[in-house]
Amino acid sequence: MDKYIDASALGQVLLASIIGGVGLVALFALGLRGLSAAQEGGRSSGYVVAGGSFAVVLAGIGLGLYAILAA
Amino acid sequence: MDANTLLLITVVVTALAFDFTNGFHDTANAMATSIATGALSPKIAVALSGALNFIGAFLSLSVAATIAKGIVDGSSITLTVVFAGLLGGIVWNLLTWYFGLPSSSSHALIGGVVGAAFIAGGADAVLVDGLISKVLIPALLAPVVAIGIATAGTYAVYRLTNGISDRHRDTGFRIGQIGTASLVSLAHGTNDAQKTMGIITLALIANKTQGQDDGTPFWVIFACATAIALGTYIGGWRVIRTLGKGLVEITPPQGFAAEGSSTAVILASTHFGFPLSTTQVCTGSIIGSGVGKRLAQVRWGLFGRMAAAWVVTLPAAAAVGAVAYAVANGIGGTTGVAVVFVLGLIFIGGIYQLSRKAPVDHTNVNAEWTGSVAPEPVPAGV
Repeated sequence: MDKYIDASALGQVLLASIIGGVGLVALFALGLRGLSAAQEGGRSSGYVVAGGSFAVVLAGIGLGLYAILAA
Repeated sequence: MDANTLLLITVVVTALAFDFTNGFHDTANAMATSIATGALSPKIAVALSGALNFIGAFLSLSVAATIAKGIVDGSSITLTVVFAGLLGGIVWNLLTWYFGLPSSSSHALIGGVVGAAFIAGGADAVLVDGLISKVLIPALLAPVVAIGIATAGTYAVYRLTNGISDRHRDTGFRIGQIGTASLVSLAHGTNDAQKTMGIITLALIANKTQGQDDGTPFWVIFACATAIALGTYIGGWRVIRTLGKGLVEITPPQGFAAEGSSTAVILASTHFGFPLSTTQVCTGSIIGSGVGKRLAQVRWGLFGRMAAAWVVTLPAAAAVGAVAYAVANGIGGTTGVAVVFVLGLIFIGGIYQLSRKAPVDHTNVNAEWTGSVAPEPVPAGV
């Protein structure tokens, strides 16, 4: 099986995909939740949650793009 | 103009034509979900995708002047083999486009070259181990990985936002969709335009127009970027419709999670050197977004047809490539290639005419899905 599948590369793809495809996606949703809590619920801590979440998402995207383009 | 130059020009034109079909076939991958949810209007979506593909093509700096490396023995690759292989890829791309089925352009191209090389160099020219590890296994893994990631992402998205009013949630995710769809388009540009750049560079080297280590001329990069961007802008509406409306009735949160999953998997696979087909990943992500949402419906029958088309891609394209090579080589020299080129043009014209009988374009791409790619026309007077 080894000669057919590069297991370590596949493992890295899976890990990065989970971090980006699930992690960052969920963080964006968390950001929206924070925004909604702040705008509809009046809790201004929501803005902090939103700001933080979106910032991490943007940073993650930036990192991902940099990793690709710098290669 | 001597025969060799004419042959070279024919190969370059055919390669750019393939690049163009690659463009319109793959617009759906990035934009189908955004068009389906209204995050982007159809024309703006394809324009944005086209622009980003164009930019992305310039960002890909490492162009490999190889084709089907590790899958086909290098010494079997002549200009005529490359031409026949490209034709195999183009024909399969057009057929699957006509039926509105997403299909891997990369596998179609590899298939075409494998078929042509098989006729040219015999069974020894085809490296089966490479075929298994670089085409077959990734084809099995891509949808599985994408479905998994997108299912998890969609589930998380719905859990985290269940307190938000639908209107706010949809608006928020539509904005997010524009972001993720743009990223997929950019990634596609960096990934896919390279294929054609590599082929043209290879043809130039084979024709001794330039040396092995001269790198890729700027006009090649520009031409390939333009071809794929134009193809993207024309927009394979038929495929967009299938992916956006046929597979899953997509809502903004699902669309966002699907394209987010696709972006992550595609960028990761490129970076870590485990190539996965963009099309298969994006299709898997859309399905995953259907699985991850409670009560959402996935039209598994349609996915079954797509999977069948994916399995058939390599052999079908190989068959076309083989026939194209056999005819071109049989007639001999540049004349043979010219004859097959004209036959190819006739085929392209034929498919285009067929598609005009029940056209799908930006005006009806979002119509109700009634089981066929071309939506049923609304009766006059209703």
